[in-house]
Amino acid sequence: MNSINEPARFQGAAKYVLDEELAKIVNVSIVLEMPLLLKGEPGTGKTMLAYAIAESLAMPLIVLNVKSSMKLLDALYQYDTLTRLNDSRFGDSKREVSNIEEYIRMGKIGQAFVSDCRTVLLIDEIDKADTDFQDDMLDILDQMQFDIIEIDRTVTARHRPVIIITSNAKKDLSDPFLGRCNFHHIAFPDPEMMRMILNVHFPKLSEGLAKACLAAFYRLREFRGIEKKPATRELINWIRALQADPDFDLRSLEKGNLPCLGVLFKKSVDLDLAIQQTGGSRR
Amino acid sequence: MFVDFFYSLRERGVPVTPTSFLRLQKALALGVIDSVDDFYTAARSILVKSERYFDTYDQVFARHFRGEPFEEISDIEWIDIAKSLLEEWLKRPKGLAEAFGLDEKQLARYTPEELIQYLLDRLKDQRGAHHGGTRWIGTGGTSPVGHSGHHPGGLRVGGASRNKSAVKVAMERRYRDYNQEGPLTELQMGEALKRLRRMIPHGPRDVVNVAKTITETMRNGGEISIVFDRRLTDRLKVILLIDNGGWSMDPYVDIVQTLFNYARSQFKDLKIYYFHNTIYGRVWSDPQRHLRPEAIEEFARRNPDTRLIIVGDASMAPYELMGANGSLYVGQKDSRSSEARLKFLARLFRHAVWLNPQTEADWHYTWTVEAIGKIFPMFELTLDGLERAVRHLMKKN
Repeated sequence: MNSINEPARFQGAAKYVLDEELAKIVNVSIVLEMPLLLKGEPGTGKTMLAYAIAESLAMPLIVLNVKSSMKLLDALYQYDTLTRLNDSRFGDSKREVSNIEEYIRMGKIGQAFVSDCRTVLLIDEIDKADTDFQDDMLDILDQMQFDIIEIDRTVTARHRPVIIITSNAKKDLSDPFLGRCNFHHIAFPDPEMMRMILNVHFPKLSEGLAKACLAAFYRLREFRGIEKKPATRELINWIRALQADPDFDLRSLEKGNLPCLGVLFKKSVDLDLAIQQTGGSRR
Repeated sequence: MFVDFFYSLRERGVPVTPTSFLRLQKALALGVIDSVDDFYTAARSILVKSERYFDTYDQVFARHFRGEPFEEISDIEWIDIAKSLLEEWLKRPKGLAEAFGLDEKQLARYTPEELIQYLLDRLKDQRGAHHGGTRWIGTGGTSPVGHSGHHPGGLRVGGASRNKSAVKVAMERRYRDYNQEGPLTELQMGEALKRLRRMIPHGPRDVVNVAKTITETMRNGGEISIVFDRRLTDRLKVILLIDNGGWSMDPYVDIVQTLFNYARSQFKDLKIYYFHNTIYGRVWSDPQRHLRPEAIEEFARRNPDTRLIIVGDASMAPYELMGANGSLYVGQKDSRSSEARLKFLARLFRHAVWLNPQTEADWHYTWTVEAIGKIFPMFELTLDGLERAVRHLMKKN
């Protein structure tokens, strides 16, 4: 394994507002060659962080979106039996049928291992898979190698990827899993941080509008019974919607009228509750 | 370096492992940490693996590096206090019995271990009272920060409900094992629930059956004939109905929550509803039982193969169960008795169980427990009971 002597330092990216604490944690994890497990409410930028790291360190990003039905093998490699069968029947492809290796395709983790340069591997929403998947995967990420049974070959990582794992789960992951990761919980950004995030996305946003939107946004998050609270993404879309709305009037927003609530609340139950609690009418 | 820090974290109940501690040393050696601030962040991400312990970590860190004292007395110190009180009592039984408002003979029946536990609990109550709190029931269940892995959970001394006195609940300490060895027992609970699954082929035929394909291709004289199978998926649907109201369930909040957490990750389709005491016309899908009601009749639309699990102590006044308008809540008019509702549910779902957090030995004291036990098969909410319940739910017929 090639370790990089002069570790690149992560310092944030163009569209990502990074707090200093998180930057330190990312850098420590890179140096220690440990996967970094990120938890936190949806919309706190867990996934975006991986994109930002890839951009800032100029490494290719490989994303493994974990699904509940996923098997670990799918993430490592696939043996394409059907194509091989087809080739053996018709014999019109350039592939050598007797060479099984030509029918092995790398999965996302496999791709990260065989890549020519160091990559950022994002394993998104690990909590969707079952515990066995999680533990087995960490074994592989620990040893940085896996076997391809069909051709009896061991794939070893050429460069240890920078691994970012995200989880939305309320409950903790298993102990062996946690033991092998560094951990950080991203808190929901406070209004000040949010203002900076908005600045990145809307460089020309007026102070008055930003203030009114932020106040309204944090008030909406306090509403009772909301299943899916609006997060950063919703706020950004909302401001976009407000800017595009020709009827929009800043003074009416400051008075407490909230247009385009549908952008903030994605579930009809939540939307109804929010409308009830603002006392407004649906638009 | 920082060995003391490591041990004080452990003492305060943060599960830090030696491996992660060594990793921290490695980070220090590699020179990526060059200020106290760096150390604070790096050590937290390396040592502490859950945000639940962040607060404790902060406290330990503050004490260790800034000399701030702990706000609270640790459990170990409490035990010392309790021990000294016990010694005091051995010298002067009467005085102490009076101090705690207990009968001297009653005290004498306890084993020393029980007694220390009892004193410990009482001392903690005392502290709660000093802070002006009158309602400290169930604080152990909601406290986000565990103290040395011990939750003083669910004591009731302030106001006894029905015939269950606080001392009794405290003394039983049936959930001590769950408290002290949480992770282990939770794991076991998960294992017990794991059997509750049914793998059947489902969905589109999109998996190639290689063996069958080859056979079929041979039979076809070499023309490829591909055989697809359906994937095996877990199709088990579960409805969990939880009694989360009333003081009588408070001591069990912890254990029921553990069950929830496991249930959530275990099943493909899980619906959780809440009720208070027993089931009348509707149940709620929000724990406050306020915003999202669902009528019992709606359950008829569910798949009858759905497994129904009801968790509750089944203890109430007989009229609440049998009366046509037995609900405690004003304005919740109901034409049918709760008993009729329960029977309706039992008819809808062939696979149903009632889990009771009270020990089986206590069941015959309460009339309604027996009555409900006739409608639903009832099991103790213990590992053993859970396993038997799962076995019952997975029966074929």
